[in-house]
Amino acid sequence: MAEQDEDSLIGYDPLAWMHRSDFNQDSRKAEVGESEVDSSTELASSTETASNLEIDLDQAPADASEPYASQGERAVLVLEPVLNIQNVSVLHQHLMQMLSNFEAIDIDASGVTMIDTANLQLLLILKQTAIGLQKSISIDFPSDKFIEASELLGIAEMLEVDQAASGFF
Amino acid sequence: MSARIVAVLNQKGGVGKTTTSVNLTHALAKLGKKITVIDFDPQSHLAVSLGSVDPQKSGIDKVLLEGVSLAEQSIPVRKNLNLVVAGPRLQEIEQLTDGGARRGDLLRRALLDGNRDEDFIFIDCPPSSGVLVANALFAADEILVPMTSDYLALQGLSHLVGTIKKFESALKRPYKFSLVMSRYIPTRRISKEVLSVIQKYFPGQILATAIRETALLAECPSFGKTIFEYRPGCRSARDFMALAEDFLQGRMM
Repeated sequence: MAEQDEDSLIGYDPLAWMHRSDFNQDSRKAEVGESEVDSSTELASSTETASNLEIDLDQAPADASEPYASQGERAVLVLEPVLNIQNVSVLHQHLMQMLSNFEAIDIDASGVTMIDTANLQLLLILKQTAIGLQKSISIDFPSDKFIEASELLGIAEMLEVDQAASGFF
Repeated sequence: MSARIVAVLNQKGGVGKTTTSVNLTHALAKLGKKITVIDFDPQSHLAVSLGSVDPQKSGIDKVLLEGVSLAEQSIPVRKNLNLVVAGPRLQEIEQLTDGGARRGDLLRRALLDGNRDEDFIFIDCPPSSGVLVANALFAADEILVPMTSDYLALQGLSHLVGTIKKFESALKRPYKFSLVMSRYIPTRRISKEVLSVIQKYFPGQILATAIRETALLAECPSFGKTIFEYRPGCRSARDFMALAEDFLQGRMM
C-alpha cells in the first residue's frame, strides 16, 4: 500500500502499482512482435500441473530450482480446460506459491470448458486472500463456461468476471 | 486520408465523457478540422446534447448489426461536424455472447470503409466495460480519458489502465493515451492533490487545459447546444477552445 504524507487528503494510492517494474515491462511488451511474446518461459510442465504458468523472459529466474522471480513482479496463469477435484490441490499449491512471490497475478480463464465448485472456491479464496495482502488477482477473458459456472455458484461478481473483457482474444 | 480514431473512454459515469465529446469536437470543427463523432452510449446523451432527440432514429446500431455504411448514418449537425447517433438497438451489442473475438471487432471493421475525409473520428463510449467498450478499444488509435479530480475517479482510473494494458498486450500495439481534467474545481484541495497524483503517473499525458466545473456546462445539453452556442465566449467555451488547441498541438501539463 502506497503511503502518503500525513496531511494528504489521499490515503491509499490506487495507481501505486504503475510504478512497479512490471508496469513498464508490460508497456514495452505491447510493442514487441508476436515471436518475442511466444518466447515466454513456461515454468510448469502440463504433465505435472493442472495449469500452465507463463512468466515473461524479463522475469524468468536464473536458477530453475527457484521457480519464481523476486517479489514485486507480475505473473500470468493460464488455466487448463478442465478443472476438477482431481487437480485442485495442484492448482492450489501453485496459486499459493505465486501469491507469496508476486504482487499481481493475471489468471487467463479463456480456455476453461469445465470447472467445478472446488476450483471456483479456490479462486474465490485466492482473491479474498490477495485483497488482505494488498495484492491483485485478475481473471481475464473468462470463457462462457467459466462465467456460467461462477454465476451458478453466485460468485461471478466477487470474482469480478463480469467486468472482464471476456472471450475476445 | 485516414482519420485518427479517438475513443473518449472512462468506465466511470459522470466524469465528463459526453461533455468533452460534444464541446471538444465542436471546438475542433470550429478550428477547421473535419470531425465525425459517434454516440456509442445506448443512453444517447451525446446526440441529445447536439440537438438530435429522435430516439427511434437508427445510427451506429444499424452499422454494426446490419452492415450499413457509416457514411449513410452520418448526419451533418454543425459545420465540419457529423454525428452518428446510437440508435435504439445499440444495447443489443452489449448483450452479444456469440461470435468470440468477432463481436468485439464490429466497429473497427465498420470504420475500415474508406472514402471518407474526416480528420478525426471520436467515439463517445458508455460508462461500462463490456462489449461496446471492447469494440471501441479494438477500433481506436488513441484513447482520451476525461477525469474528475476526486478520489473515486482515481480508483476508477487504476482499473481502466489495467484494462487498456490488457488490450495493448493482446493487440500488440500501444495506444496514444491522454487524459483531460474535467469538472475541475481549482479551489478544492482534493482537486489539486488528485491532479498531482495523476501527474506523477502520467507525466506528459495530461492535456494542458483543465476544464473547470461550471453551471453553464450542465445547462447547455437540455437546449441541444454546445457551449459555443449556448454562451459563446464564456469561461467554459474558452477552456474547450484551449483544450482543442492542446489536443491538436500535443500540449500537455
